[in-house]
Amino acid sequence: MFFFILTNNNSNKMFFLFILFFSTLISISSNSWFGCWIGLEINLLSFIPLISNSKNLLSVETSLKYFLTQSLASINFLFMILIKFSLLKNFDMNNIISIMMNSSLLMKMGSAPFHFWFPNIVEGLSWMNNFMLMTWQKISPMILLSYYFNKNFLIFMIIMNLIIGSLGGLNQTSLRKLLAFSSINNLGWMIFSIMISENLWLFYFLIYSMMIFMMISLFFLMNMYFMNQLFINNMNFFIKLNLLINFLSLGGLPPFMGFMPKWIIINFLLINKFYFLTFIFMMTSLIIIYYYIRIIYSSFMFNYFKMKWVNLLMKNNMSLINLSSFISISSMILSTFIFM
Amino acid sequence: MMKFLFMMIFMIPLCFMKNMFWLVQMMLFFMMFLFMNLNLNIMCFFNMSYMFYCDIISFGLILLSIWICSLMIMASESLFKLNFYFNFFLFNVIFLLIMLYLTFSVLNLLLFYFFFEASLIPTLLLIIGWGYQPERIQAGMYLLFYTLFGSLPLLMGIVYIFNDLNTMTIYFLKFFNMNMYLLYISMIFAFLVKMPMYFVHLWLPKAHVEAPVSGSMILAGIMLKLGGYGLLRVMIFLQEVNLKLNYIWIIISLVGGLFISMKCFCQVDMKSLIAYSSVAHMSMVIGGIMVMNYWGFIGSYILMISHGLCSSGMFCLANINYERLHSRSLYINSGMMNFMPSMSLWWFLLLSSNMAAPPSLNLLGEISLINSLVSWSNISMILLMMISFFSAGYSLYLYSYIQHGKYFQGLYSFYVWFISWVFIIIFALISFKYDNFKGWFYFYLILNKK
Repeated sequence: MFFFILTNNNSNKMFFLFILFFSTLISISSNSWFGCWIGLEINLLSFIPLISNSKNLLSVETSLKYFLTQSLASINFLFMILIKFSLLKNFDMNNIISIMMNSSLLMKMGSAPFHFWFPNIVEGLSWMNNFMLMTWQKISPMILLSYYFNKNFLIFMIIMNLIIGSLGGLNQTSLRKLLAFSSINNLGWMIFSIMISENLWLFYFLIYSMMIFMMISLFFLMNMYFMNQLFINNMNFFIKLNLLINFLSLGGLPPFMGFMPKWIIINFLLINKFYFLTFIFMMTSLIIIYYYIRIIYSSFMFNYFKMKWVNLLMKNNMSLINLSSFISISSMILSTFIFM
Repeated sequence: MMKFLFMMIFMIPLCFMKNMFWLVQMMLFFMMFLFMNLNLNIMCFFNMSYMFYCDIISFGLILLSIWICSLMIMASESLFKLNFYFNFFLFNVIFLLIMLYLTFSVLNLLLFYFFFEASLIPTLLLIIGWGYQPERIQAGMYLLFYTLFGSLPLLMGIVYIFNDLNTMTIYFLKFFNMNMYLLYISMIFAFLVKMPMYFVHLWLPKAHVEAPVSGSMILAGIMLKLGGYGLLRVMIFLQEVNLKLNYIWIIISLVGGLFISMKCFCQVDMKSLIAYSSVAHMSMVIGGIMVMNYWGFIGSYILMISHGLCSSGMFCLANINYERLHSRSLYINSGMMNFMPSMSLWWFLLLSSNMAAPPSLNLLGEISLINSLVSWSNISMILLMMISFFSAGYSLYLYSYIQHGKYFQGLYSFYVWFISWVFIIIFALISFKYDNFKGWFYFYLILNKK
């Protein structure tokens, strides 16, 4: 993100980026629910200037949609906090008010069944803004979710997340929307992990955001937004291998690094005797792997049409690709060391 | 045991240097000879180190996988001559060999699963990367999704076992008895899909036909045996449930084997015929493991090894024909004895082994399996008789169609023989006979044990 801001001569957005980081810290480290709400509001206010670009009509429309949905969720959150404080003075987590508070936080994250804004907005943002939306913006709602959640409601939400994330991406050709649905599916895994422990969630979240970063930086450097663009580029061999490894890793296939967080979450699922839920986790993961493999067909097949008019100028940006290739390939070896 | 792993890992940089194609293949042969000289003890685990072990089943299957990988590289010489990404191909083969070696030799059940799944990725790359027809994409998807659909419940089962027994060491599992139906189904379903059993066998004809010769050889040779190895390991703590439920799998696989053998007669594609015959042989292997007597275990293990050698050899021969005539159809590949009479010797030897004619190792496996299945139930005699008869039938059918008769009039010209093929076939047959002698020796030991 820094890289993008610095290269595009847009350093006035650095200010908003710093406020974005601080807003999440305010939200998760406050002693009172009001502080959480304030953090969420500052988060919204600082993210809007990052994504809106007055020269581009699509990004203005996207930022307006984002503002409307997120402020609705924030108002709902504030209202539920006030009801909880003034009318219900209990600490029991499994009641109706926790459902309402969790719903507003789930809407902030883009989790099902409040996910309808998410693919829409992701379609209107550039890749680096998408990266912030998919990773950083999920931190504070997740952690706030862990402070006061309703277990049965969240398990139902997890199932909806998994199913919508897997089935929604089947008919998409835009890479951004595909990653949006994959993000909704991974939200299911993350919500479960945060019900177990915050440490577990942090582990899953870090590995997930690292994998998303590698893929998004790859797509950003190649300027690819749609699936048909995967086939007409002159990708050299390491880029193809990198794409292959990243998507298979995100799908959770051994021997890549993405298998490890999924394995650990399955471990906790089975310890807590959620057998049917584990089955749903596995089967939706299979559907997700299907549409990831559709994306990486281009890297499986070594000879395809290479158009001569597509000139890939990558001379200044090779270091990022080399680094991410190295991380992807070495993560295979690292993941085997973890098991020993 | 670690020494072989490091030898394979250090062969990886060798794949990317110039003019190292044949050196890698020779190193694999060398490793095979080194591995053969490990101390072998039939009745226990040996060569235990930090996370590796070896017992008789692992030993044979690792030996088979190293052998087939070296033969794979020898058979794919055309990739080297045509300069078609052979560096990455070598890396793929070595990576697949490492994954297979680790699958058969780790002590931990979860690590077994990890490498079991990991061996799918290079296979997928082999099929889609170096295959010949556009249908290979669908074949790759079928392979990946059938096996993943089976093995994700296996992961659930393994983690459940870990939470229940607090151990994952394969050796300690024999002290436990997990008497749960759902666990049983989830554990063995992965291996039944991989074997493959009749109802879930659809991936196999597609994957075998669309794969290049190296992919077909490794699929038929080893990947099917991963399922058998898994079943042999997992059955140890599932014996009680298996005794109640094994009739389902035995009946499905035997009747399915019968149907598949009959379907072999309808095939026009040579590789498709060999692929379906693999399913028929593996159906008997499943039957042998599921009845859970000693002859069944031994028979299935011997049939796995011999089928691995035999099927890989036949795919290699089919590829020899394909490279010269550019067709796998039986209509075009007829009357080859007129052009390559010495080739008909190899076809005959491998196809006679496929039909379990004496003195091949397949005969030993089939005799043991027939013995074990008939001791389980007399009615299986009918099915086994028909499966064996039809396997003789389609092997003879393939042989007579390819070799005898008038040759296809549309042939123009092709080169007849190529010296390195001699080595492949000679080595395949020598390994056959060597295993033959070992096999009959063990048979003698087993008989004396009784």
